[in-house]
Amino acid sequence: MEFLVEKIGMSRTVDVPSVPVTLLKLKDVKVCEVSEDGTAIVAYQSGKKSNKAIEGQQKKYNLDKSFNKFKTIKVANTEAGDIDTSSLEEAKELKTTFTSKGRGYTGVMKRHNFGGGPKSHGSRFHRRVGSIGMAEFPGRVQPGQKMPGQYGNATVTVKNTVVSYDGENGVIAVKGSIPGANGAMGVIKVVK
Amino acid sequence: MRNRYVENFEKAQIADKEVPSFRAGDTVRVAVRIKEGDKTRVQDYEGVCIAIRGTGTGRSFNVRKIAAGGVGVERTFPLYSESIESITVVRKGKVRRAKLHYLRGRKGKAARIKELRK
Repeated sequence: MEFLVEKIGMSRTVDVPSVPVTLLKLKDVKVCEVSEDGTAIVAYQSGKKSNKAIEGQQKKYNLDKSFNKFKTIKVANTEAGDIDTSSLEEAKELKTTFTSKGRGYTGVMKRHNFGGGPKSHGSRFHRRVGSIGMAEFPGRVQPGQKMPGQYGNATVTVKNTVVSYDGENGVIAVKGSIPGANGAMGVIKVVK
Repeated sequence: MRNRYVENFEKAQIADKEVPSFRAGDTVRVAVRIKEGDKTRVQDYEGVCIAIRGTGTGRSFNVRKIAAGGVGVERTFPLYSESIESITVVRKGKVRRAKLHYLRGRKGKAARIKELRK
């Protein structure tokens, strides 16, 4: 089952050993239409954007004006209405998909953990790429060569174990970190 | 200001913990649970609290003592950790700072802290 969540931030537990946790808040989601394969069109709130296409959908599914975004996810529901969160009660492991923080066009040291050169003693080789291949043979650069470029702002999926789930407030605590900025929206999928 | 969900998550964990109020300059005795194999025992560690930092579950304090041979020892404890059995305030100190890192450079009589009298 999949759910839409917002990343809140990080904290820790007081157990021994202490566990670093990331808190995720379940988004208020309305299931609009369930298809036979278990996927459903759901609506959620994000900003105030509205246009005729959105208004049409809201009229079709009898939605409140604030539910202005739509997405297709797997749900446990068989009918339209509020999303069924019962599968989260026993969830042990989640797959979280978020958009990672964008770092723009970065060099090779930040992007691929290259070592770089000496800073001083007239080295004249600091943060550069260096050699990218051999000689006249093979006469080309190997595919997949690590070079500078856009880093981050990509869809990243990680697996985390669930530490706790607070059904009342819709807050899930998972062990470890999760890509993306606080306040970003993502999708979680119950694996176990 | 911290996020209210983070705050609630941490508050729920701290709620049933009883921790005495103390500040930098106070002499504290910390009973630490030590795990050896499958047995646990409690060991006391006594010294001057020289700093308290952090908020929520991450709050920790730093205790300095002079061990055998005149060697300074500093240990940082998480305030609300399960590994701490109890904290006892042995003596209230009179200090004018929140962080007493200057004690590291002092020895003997110069490293004394006056007792707080009301």
